[in-house]
Amino acid sequence: MSSSAIEPESPDLVCQLDNVQGVVDALNSVRWKRGQDAVLELSEHGIVLIVEETACLQAKVYLQRELFVRYEYSAEGRPRFGVSLGLFVDCLNTFSVQGHSSAIEIRYPGPDMQLLLKSVETSDSCTYAEIRTRIPDTISWDYNFEPAGSTPLSFTVKSAALKEAIDDLEWPGSSIHLILQPTPPSVTFRGEGHGDLQIDFMCYANTDLLVAFHCDRQVSHRYKYKFLRATTSRLPSSVIRDNRGSKLTIGRGGMLKVQHLVSVAKPAIPHPHVDSAGYQQPSRIAYIEFFVKPEVDEDDGNDT
Amino acid sequence: MKFKAFLTDNGVNLLDKRFLPAFEKIGKICHLYATRDHIYFLHNLLNGDGIQCIAQFRKEALFDEYRISSQNDDRISFTIDLVLLHRALHSIISIYTEFSASDSGVPGGNSAPNRIQIKLVKKLPPHSQQPMPFLTFETKGYKSAVIQDVPISKPLSRSDVLELQAALDMAQDLPQTLIQVPDMHQLQNFVEKMKQVGDVLNVSISKYGDLHLQVSTTLITLGAEFRKLSVIGEQAQSPTDDQNLSAQSRTRIALQRGDAMTVQVSINHFFKSLQCHFAKPDCAFYGIAQQGACLTVVFQFFIPGTHQTDKAISLHCRLPVLDPGAS
Repeated sequence: MSSSAIEPESPDLVCQLDNVQGVVDALNSVRWKRGQDAVLELSEHGIVLIVEETACLQAKVYLQRELFVRYEYSAEGRPRFGVSLGLFVDCLNTFSVQGHSSAIEIRYPGPDMQLLLKSVETSDSCTYAEIRTRIPDTISWDYNFEPAGSTPLSFTVKSAALKEAIDDLEWPGSSIHLILQPTPPSVTFRGEGHGDLQIDFMCYANTDLLVAFHCDRQVSHRYKYKFLRATTSRLPSSVIRDNRGSKLTIGRGGMLKVQHLVSVAKPAIPHPHVDSAGYQQPSRIAYIEFFVKPEVDEDDGNDT
Repeated sequence: MKFKAFLTDNGVNLLDKRFLPAFEKIGKICHLYATRDHIYFLHNLLNGDGIQCIAQFRKEALFDEYRISSQNDDRISFTIDLVLLHRALHSIISIYTEFSASDSGVPGGNSAPNRIQIKLVKKLPPHSQQPMPFLTFETKGYKSAVIQDVPISKPLSRSDVLELQAALDMAQDLPQTLIQVPDMHQLQNFVEKMKQVGDVLNVSISKYGDLHLQVSTTLITLGAEFRKLSVIGEQAQSPTDDQNLSAQSRTRIALQRGDAMTVQVSINHFFKSLQCHFAKPDCAFYGIAQQGACLTVVFQFFIPGTHQTDKAISLHCRLPVLDPGAS
């Protein structure tokens, strides 16, 4: 923790956000169950929120400084603190119901190490929140995602199609095989449980659906269905509406990385103060990454 | 014991489109209380812990040819299921409007105007030997007469009616300071989100026209302050040096000066009180009763097309205060 935390006059971070709803959408996409704890990490580049479950699933939401109207960072090192994810998002959400494009200010730390939020509005009404933070648990597997070989094993698929496929795989449930093969270039999800279900994405069959396919050898890994489902279950509707793609990469040991892009663009309301460089950016994006560990047993999970 | 009247078109509109939707949100069952001049819909007046809600109509606001008689000074009260009442009324209105529309299209047609009659009856329900009380709606359809019977409780005894009247009299006290809610719909949205965060709401109201709402738990404090609202009743000039203070500090200072009061209420009760905007009031005022006995919200209705209060209709709620020691 930075030394400036002792002096509340010079907080580590003061930033302003003009699209709370976009950030709420982005953070909601990593809420796969109740009672989740999150770790927030602050840096000069932005805010990263990290959530994980039983060392098998981790999600990160990157809120880069470009998403903020104002971003004043003055800590040394990278302050980290824990909050209740549900409380943090529900609290942010109360700021987004003002019915107009209200901006909020986020400040850390408060006098008692709280995370402070307040609306930046006319002097006649004001919303504020103080969220108690805690010393974070160490992230149990804050590892570096490493490529599985010299060529990356990755593909990009329409987020809507990915979500639909994973939703459909609920029926067989339990564990899901993800198979990539170069000839013919295709991606297969296969569920074997209460029944069998196989979903194929063929690269040539629909060039729109599957793009940027990189695979030089057949690989197959198994993932727990509930973890796969967590990667798409709370995708914000804006992702589907904007027809975005999600990138899936298989790393060393079968670690699956799923990346989504969520728009945090300001709603199309003309703003009187066009004075910030970041503000006029046409498309502001929050990056969301999920890391899913494969299921491992003797006769499975091999690169072939 | 007799009760019989004809609903006016205005009465139909008031009940079906405005008051019943609002009242259903507060609770399923309410007391209906009729006197010689007034009709009341009352929530939780006899049982203590819920939100009290009082809608009062002059008989002319709802009815024509209003007749009531009882041995208890012409006062009748019973409990009624609002969902059933609304459903019955809704159905009878659809028959009524269909017939009225077809009737008016025929020049020199049926001379007797179609109306909705409402009356208290005792009937033998199917498969029963015991006659039961009903509130009955009756109107003519195109080729038929339609009757909707809404089951009600046995009419309240003389002593219960007295108790209800006493509770009603008690509930008429107005707080000394009332402040006008800026935008009910916006406030309702906000409180709905706030409900996710905590159960207990601190409400502070100052004579300067400040409304401060706050939910506070061990993990979070979330609040909103609305300033410079219109004040009815006792008011005071806000100190000039409080502009740069936080909402919490401003409220604390106002409390210390005796210019503000604060109470804790259930956030669910507060949310329910906001749902009274389904009755489409023209404005709403919050105030804290003397000694912080309850939080009161008073809704004001204007005579259509004017800014004059329509004295034929009144609606207010009283939210019980939580014991700070118990919460």
